[in-house]
Amino acid sequence: MTALVPLSAAASPDPTPASATASAAALLEVRNLTINYASPRGTLRAASDVSFAIRPGEVMGLVGESGSGKSTVAMAILDLLGEAGRIDGGEILFEGTDLRRLSAAHRRRLRGDRIAAVFQDPFTSLNPALTVGRQIAEPLVQHKGFTARQAAPRVEELLAEVGIREPRRIAQSYPHQLSGGMQQRVLIATALGCDPKLLILDEPTTALDVTVEARIIELLAGLCESHHLSALFVSHNLGIVNRICNSVCVLYGSEVVETGRTRDVLARPVHPYTKGLVAALPRITTDRRHRLSSIPGTVSKLSGASESCVFAPRCPFAEETCRRLPQALRGDAAGNSVRCWKAEALAGTPWPEESTASRPQAAPPARSAPLVQVDALRKVFGERRSILPWLRRDGTVAVDDVSFTIQRGEVLGVVGESGSGKSTIGRSLLALIEPTAGTVLFDGADFVKQAKEGDRDLRRRAQLVFQNSAASLNPRKTVGAAMERPLVLAGRQGEAERREMIAALLTRVGLPAAYADRYPHELSGGERQRVNIARALATDPEFVVCDEAVSALDVSVQANILNLLADLRDELGLSYLFITHDIAVVSHIADRVLVVYGGTICEEGPIGRVLRPPYHPYTEALLSAVPRLGGAEDGPEPERILLEDSTAPPGGGGCAFRGRCPRKLGAICDERAPPVQTAADGHRIACHIPLAELAERASVFPELAALH
Amino acid sequence: MLLYTLTRLAYLAMVLVVMSILVFLVTQAMPGDVASMIAGQFASKEVIDAITVKLGLDQPLIVQYGRWAAGILQGDLGRSLVLEQPVAPILMEALSRSLVLAVVALAVVTVIGIGLGVLAAVRRGRLADQMVSGVSYLGIAVPDFFWAIVLVLVFGSYLKWLPTGGYAPLSDGFVPWASHLVLPVVTLVLMLIARIARLTRSSMIDVLQTNYVKYARAKGLPEKVVIVRHALRNALLPTITVLAIDFGLILGGVVVIETVFSFPGMGRLLLFAIQRHDLPLIQATILIISTAYCLANLTADLLYAFVNPKIRHGMGNA
Ligand SMILES: Nc1ncnc2c1ncn2[C@@H]1O[C@H](COP(=O)(O)OP(=O)(O)OP(=O)(O)O)[C@@H](O)[C@H]1O
Ligand code: SF4
Ligand code: SF4
Ligand SMILES: [Mg+2]
Repeated sequence: MTALVPLSAAASPDPTPASATASAAALLEVRNLTINYASPRGTLRAASDVSFAIRPGEVMGLVGESGSGKSTVAMAILDLLGEAGRIDGGEILFEGTDLRRLSAAHRRRLRGDRIAAVFQDPFTSLNPALTVGRQIAEPLVQHKGFTARQAAPRVEELLAEVGIREPRRIAQSYPHQLSGGMQQRVLIATALGCDPKLLILDEPTTALDVTVEARIIELLAGLCESHHLSALFVSHNLGIVNRICNSVCVLYGSEVVETGRTRDVLARPVHPYTKGLVAALPRITTDRRHRLSSIPGTVSKLSGASESCVFAPRCPFAEETCRRLPQALRGDAAGNSVRCWKAEALAGTPWPEESTASRPQAAPPARSAPLVQVDALRKVFGERRSILPWLRRDGTVAVDDVSFTIQRGEVLGVVGESGSGKSTIGRSLLALIEPTAGTVLFDGADFVKQAKEGDRDLRRRAQLVFQNSAASLNPRKTVGAAMERPLVLAGRQGEAERREMIAALLTRVGLPAAYADRYPHELSGGERQRVNIARALATDPEFVVCDEAVSALDVSVQANILNLLADLRDELGLSYLFITHDIAVVSHIADRVLVVYGGTICEEGPIGRVLRPPYHPYTEALLSAVPRLGGAEDGPEPERILLEDSTAPPGGGGCAFRGRCPRKLGAICDERAPPVQTAADGHRIACHIPLAELAERASVFPELAALH
Repeated sequence: MLLYTLTRLAYLAMVLVVMSILVFLVTQAMPGDVASMIAGQFASKEVIDAITVKLGLDQPLIVQYGRWAAGILQGDLGRSLVLEQPVAPILMEALSRSLVLAVVALAVVTVIGIGLGVLAAVRRGRLADQMVSGVSYLGIAVPDFFWAIVLVLVFGSYLKWLPTGGYAPLSDGFVPWASHLVLPVVTLVLMLIARIARLTRSSMIDVLQTNYVKYARAKGLPEKVVIVRHALRNALLPTITVLAIDFGLILGGVVVIETVFSFPGMGRLLLFAIQRHDLPLIQATILIISTAYCLANLTADLLYAFVNPKIRHGMGNA
């Protein structure tokens, strides 16, 4: 790194010549932007002194944990902060003009025309009552003076450009008739309509399945290239930012802590927070002892001007100086900047690793009688029988003929996309859903039957932790009160005994015992999920179903929770059914995995086997779609397999994946259910392609070969 | 959508059959004997018995119901005992007057109520919103007969601008017709508008916070377009339901208002029939009122489905 030049206004009131030349070329330049939200509890700082610049044709990633102010900055550029948000300082220069100096009407005319946007959740971003064609045409009519009739061919052109095959038909459909991927394509088409200069993309793929996400990212990258578009790409997913962004800007606690070229920042992060973020990212591994690095503590909400480095409370390198002085953003000649005075000194220091060496190798799961045994499970939702023929309904098959076992102390991962039946499997195991057919044996007993007969002991022995940690806790009950009921269920009668147990459980999940008196809204997302886990542990269970238990959490917090779950497995001998859509997460925690598609198991086996060839065609596509951090260190990027947008799995016989399978053989896949072929170690693949042929494909994770 | 409509119509038919049975049974249980009423207070037992046989009143209930129901299916609603003429024309006249009242009142409520609700939602928390909310509370808290009486006293008795009650058919000229309608309509509007305005306000506030409204703004659409095309259209779904049900209610007669203004609609007809123990008239009136109510509900559901494409396209097999 060369000499550091202060960039921030706090450090130097007039811009240095270096930054002035940079801004001359920039399409969008944000300078010292400060935004506050008025809330009943006073003002809340959502962006302070945020500065960055995007050159024509550049895609900049804006990353940071939830609440770091990413969306706030994006919305400020669009002038869509809403009533509570207020810009208290700074400039937003678009093509050299400060947007804040323009009239609101002028800003509106730029919006949707020169500056277009795509938001996170495509389904809620589309008006349910209007055809998508009409919605795509709106900016054309508004900004380009098209009539509805003139816009129609342009709409079809746009739809074709974003990869929709029947543009005419799709233009006439309503949002709910399209899949998530198609909806997002529609929004992208809307944004492209007026040939904008700048795209504001706020988590455009976060709500999508991995395979669909890969396609959309590919599409966006191609469009930015071919139209010479600039984009601000808001995301919390470093892997995706790595794929599509030329430069990246890392926000922490409303401040920019590091910005620079993507390959510099993500491969050799300089700021301690960026180091932590990169280290906490789960990577593909199969080592059972491995624990993820995590960032201790949580983001503290800011109101006033900070008196110290914002990251100091969580920084392992913090010193006295850090707590005394607010930090300024300092840039180097290459255009990268960092907000940490120790940056140079820390250049070669990695984020401290979680100690794994001292950890005893946990006993591998016992090969005795399985704890959970599922046989030919089938669940059909919404089937209706009636004497009136038009009232009859076939229903949707959520799970079809699924069989598997879970040993004591074993973690079985379930991966697949949304709607593939993962949660239905999990809920059937806990008898929260009554299977249409098939049996679930828990420790040799028929769980569904026992549960119906009111067997509370079985209920006690199997517990559930699910995704939405906020919704699963009653907002009017303290943490302690929420844990009372499961303890009573577990037969703890004495009040003093229960209080002691609650304290012990909270300590067990790494929370102070005093948290028993807190209400859910006083906890962070990660803390709430810990409470949920503590509550599940209260009944002293043997088996826990974790349904997307870490999906809604930030990476640093997710790492924490994953480590906790792994510790509990090793120390208490718990078994988990671990449902997730994230392959990297499952590789960290699971011993074995089921890959499900359209309610059927397409592949099953030990994690180390599933991650290497032979692959089921779906598994291969799924694995190759996983966005990862990769630089020169991780070897060349393997080629990606891109699937068609998801369609409803076709019913009837044949392979559930046949509608999207890139390796489909032909009629045989349509007509006959694929045979289950068994490879080594109980690795099973259901496909008509012979194992030997499947084994010929290259590994998606060449780095795994070196591991074992 | 067609299947959905057919299914709903089938349900409607079933409901009406059940309803007609209930109406029939309840009126049978009412005190008073039809035959002696027809015969008059001083008739001899023989005369009464003769009438009983002639009307088939000595036959089992189920046979009597069958005959009554068969008559209705052929458009014969029976003969009024008191008025001594067929029920059908009497009913149709009252119904048509109630219909006029309902259409006019609801037209006013729809336009003003929705307008106020949108205004309050868009200017949420500001003066306009507070005023709409304040007036709405007043409208809901004060009972309808209070407005009716105040209006009659002020505009009818004191200022003498408007007739205090009654009804003039349109054939008497537009001005008399309209002047008789003003007070009952205003009372109805005062009674219904608060709920519509508040409902529209709250659903509008919800919709204004949705992502698609935000996205509509991100497209650079003017605020007017955002509010009307994107927000209002979706916010109206619950309002439509309530409006249709209100329509059914007015059609079925608003007894208090009709009484205060001596408005000869369905409500007063029913009251008259009950006071005079006119069984055929009671039965027919209740049946028509229930039918009107069910039809209004059905219309509400169909409208809802029609405005909401998710239901419109998803209901083929539901
Ligand atoms: N309308 C609002 N009123 C008050 N506070 C708000 C409002 N919107 C956001 N905030 C607060 O501002 C801060 C920044 O929020 P913002 O939505 O920009 O974060 P983000 O980085 O986009 O997070 P996420 O990854 O969860 O989308 C948060 O602390 C948030 O609670
Ligand atoms: S300034 Fe100090 S506390 Fe802040 S990031 Fe740098 S080393 Fe850590
Ligand atoms: S059975 Fe056929 S369609 Fe199914 S995964 Fe194998 S090749 Fe593809
Ligand atoms: Mg956000």
